Amino acid sequence: MLQPVSVGLKLGFLIILYLFLIWVAASTLFDLRRGVRGVRGGGGGGGGRTVVAGEATSIHETVDPTALLGDGNFEPRLVVEHATGHEPGVAYDLMEPVTLGRGDVELKLEDPFASTRHATITRQGRTLVLADLGSTNGTYLNGEPVTGPQPLHDGDRIRIGDSEFTYLQ
Amino acid sequence: MRARNWELISLVPAALLVSAGFAAVYIQRANQLETVSLIYGAIFLGLCLGAHIFIRITLPHADPFIFPLVAVLACYGLVMIYRIDGATEARVQAQWFVLGLLLFAATIVWFRDYRRLEHYRYLIMTGSVVLLLLPRVPGLGVYSGGAYLAIHLPGITFQPPEFAKVGVVIFLSSYLRDHRQALASGRRILGYRIPPLKHLGPLLALWGAAMLALVVIGDIGSSLMFYGALLAIVYVATDRISFVFFGVVAFGVGSWFLATHIPHIDARIQDWLHPFNPTLYTAPLGSYQLANAQFAMAAGGLFGQGFGQTLLYIPGTTNALIPFPSTDMVFSVITGDLGLFGAVGLLVTYLLFISRGFKAAMLARDSFSKLLAVGLSTVIAVQVFVIVGGVARVIPFTGVPLPFVAYGGSSILANFVLVALLLLISDRARQPQPAP
Repeated sequence: MLQPVSVGLKLGFLIILYLFLIWVAASTLFDLRRGVRGVRGGGGGGGGRTVVAGEATSIHETVDPTALLGDGNFEPRLVVEHATGHEPGVAYDLMEPVTLGRGDVELKLEDPFASTRHATITRQGRTLVLADLGSTNGTYLNGEPVTGPQPLHDGDRIRIGDSEFTYLQ
Repeated sequence: MRARNWELISLVPAALLVSAGFAAVYIQRANQLETVSLIYGAIFLGLCLGAHIFIRITLPHADPFIFPLVAVLACYGLVMIYRIDGATEARVQAQWFVLGLLLFAATIVWFRDYRRLEHYRYLIMTGSVVLLLLPRVPGLGVYSGGAYLAIHLPGITFQPPEFAKVGVVIFLSSYLRDHRQALASGRRILGYRIPPLKHLGPLLALWGAAMLALVVIGDIGSSLMFYGALLAIVYVATDRISFVFFGVVAFGVGSWFLATHIPHIDARIQDWLHPFNPTLYTAPLGSYQLANAQFAMAAGGLFGQGFGQTLLYIPGTTNALIPFPSTDMVFSVITGDLGLFGAVGLLVTYLLFISRGFKAAMLARDSFSKLLAVGLSTVIAVQVFVIVGGVARVIPFTGVPLPFVAYGGSSILANFVLVALLLLISDRARQPQPAP
């Protein structure tokens, strides 16, 4: 007697499940299409939050993909992790070129291992570039000594002597 | 439409599913329709609604589909456990679900800025390794099916690898974020870039650890899970497919060596290759479970036999036909009851969940978030592959829980932490940019 109800409920279960899955898949597809249009439409507009074509992971790009989406959110800054004479968490604006060192420079380090003029961070359009100024003890980007000018990515760590900073944009 | 409204509407099918499922199981069991299934559906909807309101307040920009997909998986699990073990276990599972949601909320509140996790990465890594080794402590670990997977404390049994997987992914994301440039560089030897040994060292150590886990814990499934996440994160961090290639080769060689030298792994492989061999079928811990799972799935056909129709016990006795139906073998019971369509529906749900995780990784703006989202999504993907592939005889069978579906508290709790992290990443990534 209840057999048809049971079969109906089972099929109902499957139908609801598939309608739900189709709906989610369709929305995902819609999302993707809108993203593609966003890039084709001159890269502007607030609509498409997209990853720029090129490398699949987009993690290796020099230019941050969000940089194409307008000026609003671009605030390059250097946050103090720990450095003598600086409050941890304080952020320094990097829109203007900044030199780091022990001497008379924009960002003064009270670090025995820092040179007088140790390193600079300059802005080139939307890319921030870190360069060592021939310091005695070197500048480290994410644990690696900096040899030539290095583009900075959001979240990079910069270490000079015992002082450590995080770059955010 | 706003993302959160999408999420709210997406929860309705989940509640309908759980009501239909419970009603079908109830009819099958008591042979009469009762309102209890509707009450279960209502409670489930209430819980999801609570979680939805919490997300609406705390993470307004997070991906709208991640949570409803998890809800659908959870309702699949609740219905199947109610169908397999009856109301008591289903209630226990539902309680774990409630605790999981509380932990989910706690994770979102505590780690609102999840990048703080990076500061504790070595602590998290040490904790994860300790968790993984705990089942080997005499008197604490539970030995079952040739592997040390669980620890037994008074009152609860606890599966450490589930929490360890989240910890390991956090560590790997943080570690590779700092060292990816160094790994991608290196000297060229014979046309290949060989990364400096000091940066490759920790990765080799992790390969060794995965192999050691295989020997010490005796668990192929978990080590495959960790190793898959490691390779995915390394690939995304360095964009070098050669790492993946060498990683797979190294794992293959290691596994082959262990399979030929460790008896219980060899036994698993024999069970996988010849489940219907009479000697293996009748051997203790032999292929009995796997062979009967094949029959259960075959009996499901296209649309399944209906809820409660798959035979779990030999008729007329209490001897199990499919041992561990609510944990290891839940996928075969789902296929038996709901057929190919039900099973594929479940797999597509996982697929969409994983794709939303990768989407969050694509949108994330900093490397740590990208790597973390990739790692967390991959670990779920590999876990589903390991257990479903094991049940369906694609790979040798190992018992890892089917995420959100299989019976077990620690799995649910750990996976809710994972979902909370994914939503946090997604929320940060999708915050709207002010117009130029």
